[in-house]
Amino acid sequence: MVIKDQDSTEVLEPQIDGVETVELAEGELPESLLRVRLKLGWAGFKKNWKLFSENKLGLVGLGVILLFALMAIAHPIMRSVGPWQDDNVYDPVIGFSAPVTDFEVVATEADVVDPDSQIDQVTAQLWCFGSVAGDICSINQTPAPPSADHWLGTDPLGRDIASQLTFSTRAAFLLGTIAAVVTVAVATTVGAIAAFYGGWIDNFLMRLADLVLLLPLIPILIVVSGLFTVTMPLLGVLIGILSGFGGTAIVLKSQALSVKVKPFIDAARVSGGSNMHLIFKHVIPNVLPLSFLYMMFTVTEAVSLEATLSFFGLINADMTWGIMLSTAQTQGYLRSGLEFWWLLIPAGLAVSLLAAGFFFVGRAMDEVINPRLRSR
Amino acid sequence: MLKFIAKRLVQMAFLFFLFLSLVFFLLQAQPGDITSQFLDPTIPAEVQALLLERLGLDGSIWSQWWAYVTNFFTGNLGVSFSQYPKEVIDVIAERIPRTLFLFTFATIFAYGLGFVLGKRLAWRRGGFGEASITVSGVLLYTIFYPWFAILMILLFSSSLGWFPISGFLTPEFWRGAPFTGNEVFGQLLLSFTISAAFIIGGLILASRSEERPQQRMFRRAGYIVAALAFVLFWALRTEMRPFAVDIIHHTVLPVITLTLIAFAGTMLLTRSSMLETLKEDYILTARAKGVPDKDIRDHHAARNALLPVVTSFILGLAFIIGGGVVTETVFGWPGIGSLLLQATVIEDVPLATGALGFIGILALMAHLLVDILYSVLDPRVRVQTGN
Amino acid sequence: MTDTRMDTAEGRLGDSNSHAEAPILEVNNLVMNYELKGGGMVSAVEGVNFNLPRGSSMGLVGESGCGKTSIALTLIQLAAGNARVLDGEVLLDGIDLLKLDEEEMRQRRWTDVSMVFQGAMNSWNPVYTVGEQIRETMDIHWDPKPTAAEARAKTEELFNLVGINPEMIDRYPHEFSGGMKQRAVIAMALACDPKLIIADEPTTALDVIVQEQILEELKKIQHELGMSIIYISHDIAVIAEITDLIGVMYAGKLVEQGPTAEVFKRPRHPYTWLILSSTPSITGDRRQLAPLKGEPPNLLDPPPGCRFHPRCPYATEKCMQEEPPLAEVEPGHSIACWHPESVPVTLAGSTE
Repeated sequence: MVIKDQDSTEVLEPQIDGVETVELAEGELPESLLRVRLKLGWAGFKKNWKLFSENKLGLVGLGVILLFALMAIAHPIMRSVGPWQDDNVYDPVIGFSAPVTDFEVVATEADVVDPDSQIDQVTAQLWCFGSVAGDICSINQTPAPPSADHWLGTDPLGRDIASQLTFSTRAAFLLGTIAAVVTVAVATTVGAIAAFYGGWIDNFLMRLADLVLLLPLIPILIVVSGLFTVTMPLLGVLIGILSGFGGTAIVLKSQALSVKVKPFIDAARVSGGSNMHLIFKHVIPNVLPLSFLYMMFTVTEAVSLEATLSFFGLINADMTWGIMLSTAQTQGYLRSGLEFWWLLIPAGLAVSLLAAGFFFVGRAMDEVINPRLRSR
Repeated sequence: MLKFIAKRLVQMAFLFFLFLSLVFFLLQAQPGDITSQFLDPTIPAEVQALLLERLGLDGSIWSQWWAYVTNFFTGNLGVSFSQYPKEVIDVIAERIPRTLFLFTFATIFAYGLGFVLGKRLAWRRGGFGEASITVSGVLLYTIFYPWFAILMILLFSSSLGWFPISGFLTPEFWRGAPFTGNEVFGQLLLSFTISAAFIIGGLILASRSEERPQQRMFRRAGYIVAALAFVLFWALRTEMRPFAVDIIHHTVLPVITLTLIAFAGTMLLTRSSMLETLKEDYILTARAKGVPDKDIRDHHAARNALLPVVTSFILGLAFIIGGGVVTETVFGWPGIGSLLLQATVIEDVPLATGALGFIGILALMAHLLVDILYSVLDPRVRVQTGN
Repeated sequence: MTDTRMDTAEGRLGDSNSHAEAPILEVNNLVMNYELKGGGMVSAVEGVNFNLPRGSSMGLVGESGCGKTSIALTLIQLAAGNARVLDGEVLLDGIDLLKLDEEEMRQRRWTDVSMVFQGAMNSWNPVYTVGEQIRETMDIHWDPKPTAAEARAKTEELFNLVGINPEMIDRYPHEFSGGMKQRAVIAMALACDPKLIIADEPTTALDVIVQEQILEELKKIQHELGMSIIYISHDIAVIAEITDLIGVMYAGKLVEQGPTAEVFKRPRHPYTWLILSSTPSITGDRRQLAPLKGEPPNLLDPPPGCRFHPRCPYATEKCMQEEPPLAEVEPGHSIACWHPESVPVTLAGSTE
């Protein structure tokens, strides 16, 4: 992305022009300003949507995101009015449910005729301590495969996977949103200030961006989450800051540079606008389309980073997709291949799909903003 | 050239200094002071005081800071809590080669494979091949990495049984072995280094010579001698060979997994960079000169398309290092990444921050190498810095 | 089509002054279209005929998009992937280049016909030295391949010829100035002693003084080595300065051709007359410049009859319906116009 920044600076014109017109009309038509803005915004949106919708992968990505949004909404509905009301069964963290199977205890392994209803005495001690041949031993089956009650089965602790999955979706969205908003806020401010003031401020901020780019993010976050108690919102802020000071700031700075030399900036300066007014009223709004693009990539990064860290057990959260995977892995269900697929597939697929969804939307937006990338 | 490297080295040292300062202030920002972090509360008080003095952590915060940073440069990283009284530096030194091994091979394979495939994709546009490779590239690029590693283990180890599930060697096989794992691994690294030296030597000789056929001869000779040296090296170590094979057997799947995940980005970038390059006027000129297609692709287009790919390595570095930590953890590979995670989980702060520091060094060194490589590849940079 | 060819055969350029030797290049009824994605066809080159006598230079002029670069790229078979040669032949030294397969053509490039491209700035691959890139052409085409010493000697000779210090051989393109790059491109074009050089806008991106020097250099080289050169330019002043013959193109067709001096003295086609009227002349009379009005036609759907009629001040009913053939108006000078008599003898805006 960063390599291409010179391209993107040239091609942002269409979006900028729209805003520019509004700024010029500001003095004359104060009443209708809002309407003009809305109209221009709607026209721009329609045009860009048409471009966006030409990208099939982008549409797929949008569909995936919407699907996950529905899942996130589904969880509280299912828990409050739907079939998942029983806290003891469907709570994603403390719920428990397991089908009980009665086994007949037999003397030795050789006596087991039907492994689905018989169990040898030694093995039986694991569940029914002190049982002897002839007893009946009831065993809770965890993890249990998908059933009518548990659509995606239960995990090794007897918790409902579907409930965990939808519950975690909310956390993923929350984290993604926080990270994206923080990134955009930091990156646009840093980029605009670096571009606008230049000189040593620019130099300092850009060297800082280089350093952040070089930092091995995962190892640092690992150590940080070991030293501090990292919650999901805090992680979102951390990822947002790191990503906002790094590559995104560099790209947005070059974009802001190209805005800075536009005539309307001079016009605003001549008419007495202060530096802060210029930055926040003129430079930043024109850099925003590009920063929304980078929001998408930040969400992708944040979703996988969070999942990785909680897979390592380093995040202080009740339940996330990473924790679900980690449970399956630490309890040793890897060695049995795909027999317990419902422990591995839903969570891993969810992380991959949501990350890919935002990535595809980002790519499609990139093509809208950056005409050079359109089908050659 | 030397001046350029020296300049970059100074910059790197400064960046590393900033990095260490960041780690230090992270430690300070923590509830409780650095001494409680850095010293195991269970060891005797007099040993604690001695250690504090030795580490220079008994003064003011600024002198502590200075001491912390200089300690790192002298390898004085304190004592591990969990492996007391082992020095952190010794624990790390044992693990660094393994991580370097994984990192180097995965990086070379990922960038090599990504570059070659991306180049071909751009050259032969359209068709099922391009579509499927591009789509799988994008999928690999976005897949949740730990999950991908788990799936690889499920497929190749649990189901197919081709590779061991995890670890660095098979303990049962090594019981009573006349060598330690590290000795054999050291010999393995030595043999790879010798081979690499021959290959690089061949490439240098090739770049020095003026005649095309001679260049090709030097390159090929380099590869052949490298292969021969490797074979000879292990032919002389009959006793050690089965143990080396065991280690290699354990390395294959982690290397493949890390390669696959890192190569997708390179491939996609090479493809788009190559497509841009093919539009350049000098490609048309080369065609008009009657340069054969393969030479246009390899000598003219790919050579230029390589430049942004090399630059992207700097951005990809953080990614591949993070991937390395995940790989080591999921595959139970006892390198510095899994050390970092274990130390963090058991709150062995000196070990964790030491490991983090070394990962930082690794990143900076790789960055430096890429910078040098870039200046070799792009005469515009080389000449500028040369003056 | 065949009718047009019969007519034009007589008016073909060069026939009158080089009977002794066959022309180095004969282009017969070349028709080339670009196929568009939607299935449309852009008629880029339409029934072009000309001959280039050995050792002479010819200029092709016209507005951008008139098909002059398309002709050049067709000659060396490097037109874009969607280009379709529908008819015609290109005989270089008697061999039809259009009939060669890709490998044969590749071997002939640079030995038979080499090219100096539009915007030489970007003709150099930035990662190799200029010497290496010149050497590459020799390695490919010389038989046997030159040794390092031979290649170097030849490159030094070429550098001296085009006026660059031979010490620059081992430098990279970015160390050359714009004019030097262009000179080096010319040197490279000469590396395999080609039978024909095509120079496509050889001086466009350069400043006027450098432009002048390069043109002088080219002229000198052409005379010294007896090269056959085709110049392509939108700048009729450049063509006037260095060519023996001129062909004026409009919308994919050749509308006027003849000895350069003659065409400049007395343009016969309204289009030529109009572009000369819109170009200042330093040596000629003072006059008001007359701008050429209108736009070149859309080649997706070219106008019927004479393609110039929408912009032609003398167009009549006939011009809108029938295509004028290229016919000789005086020996060696031919035009494609129904009303050559309408064109005034002096340029528009002349003080006379």
